Amino acid sequence: MALIETMTPRQRVLAALSGEAVDRTPVSNPTSVATVELMDLVGSPFPDANRDPEMNARLAATGYTELGFDSIMPYFSIIQESSALGCEMQWEQKDNWPTVRMGNPIWKNHTDVQIPPGFLEHQDSIAITRSIGILKQEFGREVAVIGKTMGPWTLAYHVFGVEPFLLMTIDDPGLTMKTLHKLKEISVLFGQAQIDAGADALTFPDHATGDLVSGEYYNRFLLEIHQEMVDRLDVPLILHICGKTTDRMHYIAQNKMSMFHFDSQNDPQESVDIVDGRIGLVGNINNPVTLYSKDPRAVREEVYRALDAGVNMIAPECAIPLATKLENLIEIPRAVKDWHSDQIDNNGTAK
Amino acid sequence: MPIVNQRLEDEMAHISRPEELTHIRSLFDSGDELMQNIAYALISGNDRDVDELTKQALDQHYEPNIVLDDGLIAGMAVIGIKFRDNIIFVPEVLISARAMKAGMAHLEPILSESGVEPIGTVVMGTVKGDLHDIGKNLCIMMLRGTGFVVHDLGVDTKPDEFIDAVTEHGAGVLGMSALLTTTMPNMGRTIQAFEEAGMREFVSIMVGGAPVTQEFAEDMGADGYGQDAIACVDLAKTLSRIASHAPTNESDAQN
Repeated sequence: MALIETMTPRQRVLAALSGEAVDRTPVSNPTSVATVELMDLVGSPFPDANRDPEMNARLAATGYTELGFDSIMPYFSIIQESSALGCEMQWEQKDNWPTVRMGNPIWKNHTDVQIPPGFLEHQDSIAITRSIGILKQEFGREVAVIGKTMGPWTLAYHVFGVEPFLLMTIDDPGLTMKTLHKLKEISVLFGQAQIDAGADALTFPDHATGDLVSGEYYNRFLLEIHQEMVDRLDVPLILHICGKTTDRMHYIAQNKMSMFHFDSQNDPQESVDIVDGRIGLVGNINNPVTLYSKDPRAVREEVYRALDAGVNMIAPECAIPLATKLENLIEIPRAVKDWHSDQIDNNGTAK
Repeated sequence: MPIVNQRLEDEMAHISRPEELTHIRSLFDSGDELMQNIAYALISGNDRDVDELTKQALDQHYEPNIVLDDGLIAGMAVIGIKFRDNIIFVPEVLISARAMKAGMAHLEPILSESGVEPIGTVVMGTVKGDLHDIGKNLCIMMLRGTGFVVHDLGVDTKPDEFIDAVTEHGAGVLGMSALLTTTMPNMGRTIQAFEEAGMREFVSIMVGGAPVTQEFAEDMGADGYGQDAIACVDLAKTLSRIASHAPTNESDAQN
């Protein structure tokens, strides 16, 4: 029996983020689903699509118009704030991601942390806030527009460099906390600007990943700050941390955010069991092997595995490689709908 | 000699695989208490102690390669196991790496003058579009410590830069690193570039980085995948042996 959808994509996403019932599991993109193919389709290539609001909005909209996802994510990379802060940038070309040159950090310690005047008026801040405005006007009633503001841990990598910052966490944990508290004000400022522009929710990347630091680090340095972010940013927040995170999911589940965007290195069933309903889960379709290298059948298998486990919103695990095939991305919402149809056939009702 | 530094002995409790415990203990067999003290100082990330103890050892006329093998590398072997088994993470590895650098600052000038034959030559770099280098740098430090000549191309390395470096240095092994799922495909593109340049059969290619897996490495056509710095060294040794038996010029290649 075919699934009958009774909610708009926006309603579906917002309901899922609030832990409410949905007509089917939403398909979302807390991080980028931009590809070179989509850039060509709408004439909006990188790097300009990261810096120009109109081009940004055109490319972002394809997540809904071409791929059929239930949300739109206009912030493709993780570098907009860092550029506005004055970090040295490498903007790259159409086929590569813009990055911060972390080998040449702009700051050495917490006394250097200053939000420059005109931060929100910087080209790379405006690219996102104005794009959200454009997208809200065009799609706002239908689709959820999700903004993104970097957490203090990720900002610290960019402004201090990864290695100096990680060394600071061992050499002086007290100073590290002071630094994070100063940096979190940037997260709030840019996040609020996106909320003011109309963002329905915010992704909050803060890369305290198991590939770099222990689960205890999350508890020691970030849990309270993340709880504070929930109090200060009045939209649903989606924490994003790449890599292995099962050892910190117990802590993440206490941060009061709406969802955790998790990586394919974590088994979906194990992850669902750990968070135990204390936070929603969104993810975790593998990028480099499944979406980039395999075919729609493999994508479908992975979507089904996440749905069977009870993942609350389906998404690629992280920003996808720019050469990812569209047929694999389009397969995600198709598979979700088919899974729900199968559930109706099997149970007589939607799961 | 048996381990007499009690704090170093306590570190053995972190090594759960019996064969590894035997191996690690054997690394300290030929050293004495001073070497064990250097190893422990390195494990605990105390760069000041490593600096002073290394100087002390050289003042006492220890051979620099003995200090390197029985002190610094033996200590890093423990760090490598603790890192692989998630007992410690990158910040803890970084402070040990900083301590190793403090010791190497004394040893390297002497070792480089001694003209010891290297195990092999490796070109290392982070792939195009990726500016992360911590893992790569740890691998390079371990490779150099083990006796490889390593040419570090840094970050954001284009395929033709890898090809030029392998050609220029006659490297038998190429190591590529990526930390981002978005840049991992550039490993495959680099391997493809080696094929198109007709150079693929003359170099063994190893890949690594947090999101990289054995499956991905195979899909991309790499010769090996190293999960961490220790695996990288083991892999480089294996691939170097293969490279040393590979044809070295056109006539050999046709035989």
